Amino acid sequence: MSAEMMIQCRGISKCYRKGSQTVTPLEKLDLEVPRGEFLALMGPSGSGKTTLLNLLSGIDNPTDGSLIIAGTELAKLGRRALTKWRARHVGYIFQLYHLVPVLTAFENVELPLLLSPMSRRDRHQRVSAALELVGLGDRMHHTPSELSGGQEQRVAIARALVADPDLLVADEPTGDLDREAASKILDLLRQLSRQHGKTIVMVTHDPRAAEAADRTLQLEKGILLNQTRS
Amino acid sequence: MMAYVNIVVLATKQLLRHRVRSLLTVLGVASGMFLFTSVESLQRSLGRATELSAADTTLVVYRENRFCPSTSRLPEHYAEEIRRIPGVREAVPVKIVVNNCGASLDVITFRGVPEDQLRRFAPDIEVIAGSEEAWREQDDAALLGEVFARRRGLNPGDRFDAAGITVSVAGIIRSPFAQDNNVAYVKLPFLQRASKTGLGVVTQFNVRVGASKDLKPVAAAIDARFKTDQVPTNTRPEKAFFAEIAAELIELIGFTRWLGVGAVLAVTALVGNALLLVVRGRVKENAVLRTLGWPARAIGALVISEGGILSLIGGVLGVGLAAGFLRWQSFTLGNEGLTLAVAPDATVVAGGIAAALVLGVLASLWPAWQAMSRPIVKNLRD
Repeated sequence: MSAEMMIQCRGISKCYRKGSQTVTPLEKLDLEVPRGEFLALMGPSGSGKTTLLNLLSGIDNPTDGSLIIAGTELAKLGRRALTKWRARHVGYIFQLYHLVPVLTAFENVELPLLLSPMSRRDRHQRVSAALELVGLGDRMHHTPSELSGGQEQRVAIARALVADPDLLVADEPTGDLDREAASKILDLLRQLSRQHGKTIVMVTHDPRAAEAADRTLQLEKGILLNQTRS
Repeated sequence: MMAYVNIVVLATKQLLRHRVRSLLTVLGVASGMFLFTSVESLQRSLGRATELSAADTTLVVYRENRFCPSTSRLPEHYAEEIRRIPGVREAVPVKIVVNNCGASLDVITFRGVPEDQLRRFAPDIEVIAGSEEAWREQDDAALLGEVFARRRGLNPGDRFDAAGITVSVAGIIRSPFAQDNNVAYVKLPFLQRASKTGLGVVTQFNVRVGASKDLKPVAAAIDARFKTDQVPTNTRPEKAFFAEIAAELIELIGFTRWLGVGAVLAVTALVGNALLLVVRGRVKENAVLRTLGWPARAIGALVISEGGILSLIGGVLGVGLAAGFLRWQSFTLGNEGLTLAVAPDATVVAGGIAAALVLGVLASLWPAWQAMSRPIVKNLRD
């Protein structure tokens, strides 16, 4: 019996206009990712990695094809439903963390829960638990400027995790970190995949980072080339 | 509901943690609302002073074709004849002397009333310093309205000279009527002598009628009675006289309405501009929030909340400062012996704060739309 699929992409393409030209960062891409898998996407700049990540996270729409994530066909969701779906199912980790500079680590992690119908107490418990999980229980009340790059990225991971999504998408999460901090972040992602069953799709340029994943896919000019299993 | 509370809390944190920017915007809003409240107070004070109401039962009898109190010379004995006209409850002869007959910010007004009729003329006055007995005992004694005394720094026992009249301060009075708080009450014979108009000559009669509906017929009866006399009269409700005399003030104050409009536009532009800069500075931050599952309308609500909070704080500050300042300074505008006290009331204060909030929210709409409408991916890329 095959594993339950978290992501099913069938012939998805993405085109947009840039001046007088039509750019096609993704073309007829097929992809399946089982639930709980840690997948790395590699490829040169402009190969469509981030575009694919944006489509998987529901912040962008494919021009063509079908995209089913966690059993939901995204094309069938309206804008409001898609926003709700994103809040419930996806956590996004950015290369440059994108934390709100005037908020503390705790307040940054709290952001995804502010609009959910949850008591203040429950919300605080979940935020504390997420920060504990990423090893920042003692840095909750520090602002981003008082944290190192690695710590900022761990806050961003806690923020992505706090709503307990099925899918984590990470756009070069170690791209701005030194080797030691990057290694800790990769360990954390692997732990989230193995121990907490999160499905992770990570874009990276770094082959060492890709080694942390269960599977690595190469993307070039919007087309998947080959795959490597760790 | 809880979500909106959390949005407002987040907006407050954003504002508190960008202190300089928030403070500058609040100060700008406060300045605009200070001006707006001052102008509105002026407009409403004039409205209150000139609009007749059912509670008004006072007529003022002047000499016909008067220009200034100094040109209204009426025989004091008219009072007895006025009292005999049906509908009249009281007629008090009053002598008015002013230092400046034109529109002015610093008018000194002496009101001379018969010693035994002071309480009938001004029943609501309360002596807050000195005594009424001292006023009765001394010929040149004056009871000063508290605003007038404060403005001039006068206390019981002091002497002062204005408009050629020298008086001793016997007491300070307080009244619910702005007019009483801005004048000096002296005894009628003293003022007649001191102003060199002679005994038996007064400026006006203040006539109280039984009910507001009697104002017109009684006024007509008084003027008819003296039409063929040596000094014809012109009798009108007190506020109607004020409206006529205040024509210059009305013109001046009418102009200030444009200052109020300017203040409102300035507040709107200031808040709008501040929020537009905030939104432009937070393009990525808002895109991240939307990536985290915040709907566009929540981003809009966040921007509008910030605009509303800034405007509300600025409004409370500006309106509060203006109200306090106007009360503390007790500004008055005088013309032909009548005084307009510029005093903010609860309507102006509540209206000013509400206006600030509404302006802030309106000014935030365009920045909020800007924050809501751009695609997430484009914002993340930018």
